[in-house]
Formats: sequence, structure tokens, C-alpha cells
Amino acid sequence: MPTILGETPSVSARDIVKRYGGVTALNGVSLDVREGEIFGIIGPNGAGKSTLFDILCGITVPSSGSVRIMGREIAGIPSHIIARSGVARTFQRTAVFSESTVLENLLYGRHTSFRHGVMGRILGSISYMRDEQSFLSRVEEVLTLIGLAGERSRKAGVLAYGVQRRLAIGIALMADPKIMFLDEPAAGMNGRETTDFIALIRAIAPSRTILIVEHDMAVIRQLCGRALVVVDGKPVVIDEPNHVLRYPEVVSAYLGTEDD
Amino acid sequence: MVAKRQLSAMDKRISGQRALEAFYCACAAGGIAAFGLAFTDPFVVTLAGYTCAFALFALSINIILGGVGEVPLGQCLFFGIGSYGAAIGIGKLGLSFEVAVVAALVFAAVCAAIIGVITLRLTGAYFSIVSWGLTGVAMVAAANLDHITGGPLGLFGFPPITVGPLQLGNPQAYFFVTAAILLVSILFLVAVRRSPFGAAMDSVRQNPHLARAVGVDVARIRQKAFMLSAPFAALAGALSVPYTQIVTPDVFNVANTVDGLLMVLLGGARLVIGPVIGAAMFTLVPQIMNLDPNVKILAFSSMIILIMMLAPGGLHQIGVTLRDRLARKKDADYTR
Repeated sequence: MPTILGETPSVSARDIVKRYGGVTALNGVSLDVREGEIFGIIGPNGAGKSTLFDILCGITVPSSGSVRIMGREIAGIPSHIIARSGVARTFQRTAVFSESTVLENLLYGRHTSFRHGVMGRILGSISYMRDEQSFLSRVEEVLTLIGLAGERSRKAGVLAYGVQRRLAIGIALMADPKIMFLDEPAAGMNGRETTDFIALIRAIAPSRTILIVEHDMAVIRQLCGRALVVVDGKPVVIDEPNHVLRYPEVVSAYLGTEDD
Repeated sequence: MVAKRQLSAMDKRISGQRALEAFYCACAAGGIAAFGLAFTDPFVVTLAGYTCAFALFALSINIILGGVGEVPLGQCLFFGIGSYGAAIGIGKLGLSFEVAVVAALVFAAVCAAIIGVITLRLTGAYFSIVSWGLTGVAMVAAANLDHITGGPLGLFGFPPITVGPLQLGNPQAYFFVTAAILLVSILFLVAVRRSPFGAAMDSVRQNPHLARAVGVDVARIRQKAFMLSAPFAALAGALSVPYTQIVTPDVFNVANTVDGLLMVLLGGARLVIGPVIGAAMFTLVPQIMNLDPNVKILAFSSMIILIMMLAPGGLHQIGVTLRDRLARKKDADYTR
């Protein structure tokens, strides 16, 4: 891929181990995701992908090992603080605020960048109004990008599943994050939705680092420069998506269990 | 260019909305004045005043229920703090009513800050049960601290209660004071709900995980909501004193909270004004229909069950649905 990648790793993990009681969910995972890279994490169900993901973005604390985001050790930092430093994540389930409209969903996504209190709202201070204006133009940008400009006043909960996933990306984009963690973003999408979705990720990728946990190998192949394969909590290989399929343990563990 | 045009269109919509809101406020103020002047039956006017006071309590409950999605069974604790604070202030310490109320509000907020740190670690039923438990503690304390609270008999025999030049013993004055405070509170809470803090509260209620992922400090928002709700409950408690003329440990009874909760559910938790509609229904309807208290409980319980089954958003949702049916509008936004 002809993308120019930065020298410093955006996300780097060393020897991550996670145990739940006697069960070892992750065992010795290390990785370096370079700035500007789209990095995939793949593996069969229950391989520990989601656990790894939660550890990388600071939601789950590893039993041992360390994670650095933009050079900073994240141990002990609450996840909302990590989020405020320009790290966004989407969720596989409950990806949107389903009772709110599309517009409100984006409004909730700006929390990080909008620092005004109740008094600012009541008094309508100048800085409040200015931020409100810049927020509104950001909303328009994001709505156009995710293709939901016509749906702004519809409730998120009534949108089609694939559309909700695009909205989830929109919520994450509101804070203009440097690093995005996408948890199975294309799960449950039909062919057309997946194609649109890949185009969307390509459109937002420049100037961002993106990590994707994904089941759909086609998505990983089209988007990612490199991918990590996790099997039974152990890292098998980090390589280009087309190359990882050449490793026999990947084929037997991952593809062997899949229909496609 | 397009964005700019859309922005100015949005500006127009916002200023139109502002005008509409100003109109609503004027209507509400007019309604309060008309009601206060038109009805001369002291009982009805006093009851209306008390309804306004209790509506504040329902608003307080809805800051937690509609705001961050917890069921605050212990909210009568702050109601009781307001009642006792006002009663002790004017009866024992000889303070003016205003000073006593302000002191009670501050005390309630401080208590909420301390209690919240402990109880807000819990969610769902656990939060509700522990909050409820604390009201039991308060009730025992109130019944036993004879020299402060008057013990099981409570506090009564207050000097005339005044706010500025207004005698709250006068039904009209009592009604105008509570109604004005209620109106200002509603305006304040509407502003809160529309502020970034209100957005953060709603995001926490709907999806705490996603809220955290967009940078919301979930624990802090819950704590702030709790601390915001307490003074409103205390205000309700204090303003009910001129009506009840007695404060007993029974203010800490959970039945008190349940009444407030019913008002919220009846009116609808989604809208700031929902609980106020509920409060009005809850007190005025049985009065007008002259219902026996036991029949009232039966009627309201059945009504709540029906509303929860058919329109979980409360009476307000029924209204919105009807309006949309008539206007043939789909996906209407009734969150605000």
C-alpha cells in the first residue's frame, strides 16, 4: 500500500497477558501499529480479539504487559481520559444512542471537544455560540461523510443495521480522533453496505491510525496494510492480509472453522 | 456555501424556537396568575400550591430517573432534609424562612455529594435499595434526636412563615410563591437538559459504554446529576412545610418517594415538564372527582400499569402520538 507511514508507533503493546481466574484469554501478545496505518486483528470466535481490543484502548486492564498510545503508557488512566486524548472506539453491539436522533447522536459524540457548562447555555455566551456554530458545521461535514444528511432527525434505533454502523463511525469522528478502534464494524452488513463501508473507512483514513477487529476477511484484505492473527489467545503472525493465509496454523485455526 | 445556508436556516429555526418558548413561558405565567386570581376557595388554592411544591420533588426524581436512568427510591431523604431544615431553621433557630431554606438546600447538596460517592458505585436495583435503606436510617435518626427534630411527634407550631413581604399562610401568596419557583425551576432544568451536561447525562442513561468512549466521565456525570437533584427535593420539602405545618419522621417514608415516582411515570420521564403534568393529575384529579383515598390508590395503580403497558413514555407520549397522528408526522422528536 502506498500510504506514508510515520516512524513512531501510535499504539504499541508488549507481552500482553490477560487471565480470567484460571483461564488465560491472552498470552504474550505484542504489536506496534504505526501512525497512519490501518491495522487488522483477526481470529476465530473466542480467540481473544475483543479482549485484546479492550486492553489496547484502556477499557480492560491486562494481567501483565504494557500498552502505549502515542508514546504514553495508559496503565491507570481512566478510559474516558484516554478517549479525550484523541482515541475513539466503536462497539459491536449497542453502537449508537438508539433513543436519540441522528443529530443528537453526533451531538453526544462531541463531548470531548465541547467544554461549556449549563451557565454558558443559559447566558448564551459568545464563546458558547461560536463553538456551537463550529460544531454545527462539523456536524454537516460528518453527516455528508457518512451519507446520513437526509436522516438527521430520524431516531437512530429505527435505522437499518448497516446505517447504524455508519452512524457509529460518525459519532467517533465528531471529536476528530487521531486513533480509531473499530470493533467488528462490518458485522452483519450486506454486500452493498460492506462496499460502501469500505469506501467510508478509506475516506476517513488519511491522517488517522485505524485498528479494526473483523471477522470478514474480505474487509481486512481490502483495508488493512497489516493484520495480526490471534488464535487461542496467542499471536500467530503479523503480516500483510494476503500473506497471513499462507501460514498453515492460520488456515487450520481460522479459516477451517469458517464457512467462507 | 451550502453549509452556511443550512446554518442560517438553523439559526432561524433556533430563534423561532426561542420565540415559541418565550410564548410558552408567558402562557404559564398568565395561567398561574389567572388560576391564583380566579379560584378563591382557600382549600383549592392551597392544594394547588402544595401540588407545585410536590411537583418540584417529582422534577428532582426525574433528574435521576429521566436523566441518568436510575430509580432514586431514597430521594425522600433530601425532601426530609428540606422539611426539617426549614422547620428547625424557623422554629428552633429563629431564622427567616429564606435563610433556613437556602441552608437546607446547601446541606442537601453536601449530603448528596457524600452519599453519592458511596451509592452511585451501584447501579440498577442495588442503587435503589441502598438509597432506600439510607432513608430508613434518617427516619430512625429523626425519631430519636428529640432535642433537634422533636422526636416521633415531630416539629410544629411555627411562627408565621413569610417570603419577603408575602405571608405564606395566605393561600394565594403560597400558591404564587410555589408556582413561581416551579416555573423558574422548569426553565432551569430545560436549560440543563439542553446543555452539554444534559447531553452527557442522556448519553450516560442510554449507553454508558459508548458515553465513556466519547470521553464522558460517567461516574462524575452521575455524581453531578445526584447533587443537582438533591436541592430540588429539599426545596420541595421546605415549601411543603407552610402547607403541612408539621414535620414528622414520616417525611422519610418511602411512600413519599413512590408518590413522586408515580407522578414522573404518569406524566412521562422524557420531557422536563412531564413530572409536573403528573403531579397535577395526581393531586387535582382525585380532588375534583372527590375520590376516597383508598379508591385513589386503586385507580392510580391501575392507571400506572395501563400507562406502562400502552405508553411507557407517560401521558405526554400519548399526547405526542395523537398530535403526530393528526399531523401525519413520523419519527417525531419528542425527546425534548
